[in-house]
Amino acid sequence: MKDLQNIKFSFFILFLGFTLSLWSKPLGKVEDTLPTTSQRQVYFFEDCDVCGCSGNGGSMGYGGNLTNNFIGVRYLKQSYKSRDGIFNNSPWVDENFNTLQLWSKIPVTEKVSVHAIVPYHFHDREFGDNSTQKINGIGDISVLAFYKLIQTNKDSLMLNPDKLAHTLRVGGGVKAPTGNYEKDNNAGSVNPSFQVGTGSWDYTVGLDYNLGYRTYGANVLLNYTFKTENDLNYHFGNQTNYGLSFFGSFNSQNAVSISPSLGIAGEIFEENEQYGEAVVNTKGDVLFSQLGIHTTYKKWSVGANVMLPIHQNLNSGLVEVNYRTAVYVNFSI
Amino acid sequence: MKLIHIKLSILVAAFISLTSCSSDDDNNSDALTGENNVSLEFDNSMNGDDLILGASTYTNSNDETLTINRLNYIVSNFVLIDEEGNEFIYPKDESYFVISEENALNEVVLTNIPAGKYVQMRFGVGVDQEKYQQGAEGQGDFLQIAEENNMMWAWQAGYKFLNFEGTFTAPSIASSTDFKIHMGSHGSTLDNYKEVTVNLPSTAMVSDEMTPLIHLEVDANQILDGEHKIYLSEAPVVMVDEVKSPQIAENTSTMFEVHHVHNGEGGHH
Repeated sequence: MKDLQNIKFSFFILFLGFTLSLWSKPLGKVEDTLPTTSQRQVYFFEDCDVCGCSGNGGSMGYGGNLTNNFIGVRYLKQSYKSRDGIFNNSPWVDENFNTLQLWSKIPVTEKVSVHAIVPYHFHDREFGDNSTQKINGIGDISVLAFYKLIQTNKDSLMLNPDKLAHTLRVGGGVKAPTGNYEKDNNAGSVNPSFQVGTGSWDYTVGLDYNLGYRTYGANVLLNYTFKTENDLNYHFGNQTNYGLSFFGSFNSQNAVSISPSLGIAGEIFEENEQYGEAVVNTKGDVLFSQLGIHTTYKKWSVGANVMLPIHQNLNSGLVEVNYRTAVYVNFSI
Repeated sequence: MKLIHIKLSILVAAFISLTSCSSDDDNNSDALTGENNVSLEFDNSMNGDDLILGASTYTNSNDETLTINRLNYIVSNFVLIDEEGNEFIYPKDESYFVISEENALNEVVLTNIPAGKYVQMRFGVGVDQEKYQQGAEGQGDFLQIAEENNMMWAWQAGYKFLNFEGTFTAPSIASSTDFKIHMGSHGSTLDNYKEVTVNLPSTAMVSDEMTPLIHLEVDANQILDGEHKIYLSEAPVVMVDEVKSPQIAENTSTMFEVHHVHNGEGGHH
């Protein structure tokens, strides 16, 4: 019954995307925002579940500034540690979340694009007694549709290159429970997110704003994910993501463009629930600095990002993130 | 411009419909039926630190530094209280348990608990006079369990409710000195049995499918450093002491707190 509802909503989202795309046509020829955008940074936003990140496909890159449509492969590595026990001197467990994902941005119309992410996770953790636990498998597949609500016209920009250019995209999507959720991994005081899937249908709404000036730009991201209860009566808390970054784009002589970026990104996790009751020590928040580089040569692009925590309070201090890093190769389509 | 407004409102409407519908209120745990086990984990600690026998040192607010070699105690007479205030009294004859850090006895399993949503638990620390009055034969297997875990004086003297031993140093005692805290009722002349009531931070749900684990954080620092301050430098051995034993009994009864409850299918800690 609930599944049916969920499927209905997924279709609703897609339907919404298509409807909007039909509307956008009469508006006529509207070119891409900035001449430089195709060389810009691929911003990605780590959309991780409950501080542990394992559940929700590792991340959900919007590819906010990347006006090119692409298909690519990305590897994400996230390092965490969490307390094995309830005491001040309980041992720490080292946790490594590894994700290989196929990600793409596919145009539906000039204004609407669909993003899809298919993750494969291979996580491991090492306990105080040197024993290890490994889990792997296909994660939760995400599909998002974005609609370009506001954009400046390329023509006016060419007439006046000093003018500020901006783009606002709004959208939403669904994450399907294609990954396996193991209840046993969610017992005890160790990180409840040591999973390859949340087992739930989750829905995201978000916006993505870009401001460009010549070859420099800024990007603001905001999104909120509504999570639902899974079949085992566990309900990961809803999640807010936000981010701000600045970037520049530099062309070298041999047709290679290099775009470094610098910014901050934050996540706020609401309390998890089990059988409709709050689970203690499951809410939290974290603020990262993020540093990235994106290089483009013809149809290929290669990039890397690193996120380091500035401030964190995850699971009442029982979970700590050490770093997140990603490398990717994309091909423009 | 108008078109943008229409689009925006459609989007907003879409978001609202999403948010309103994705909230799931079909909680299937409303009708709990059958019976199942309830597990209780007694996780011993010292003032927020895990209690590790023989290894760690713990300094209390009496400025005494302890190394603990033994922490055993008796818990008994379990009562589970549901959200409507109904009490399920666990069968008395089966309701006596030794918790022993050295023998890794940290878990109590209460069996055949009727389905329900339990929010509170009451239990005893030690052995009540009623049970003790039943004589040695009336104790069943528990007498032997108590003996095996160093929880008996001679029968006439009765059970040790708490056996807490180790070494300590204090400002006036620089060299490591043994301490022994053996607290009990001392026959029927001095009753140190205490009842404890703990609230569960979330409901423990019991049904044919659901067997919860109640994880208790037990702060052994309370024994000496609770409401009553017990200085080992004054008396490193406390056994039959009409002043200190009742104080230690009161302190001991405050060391229990439920840290969290796991609901689910069991096999979890």
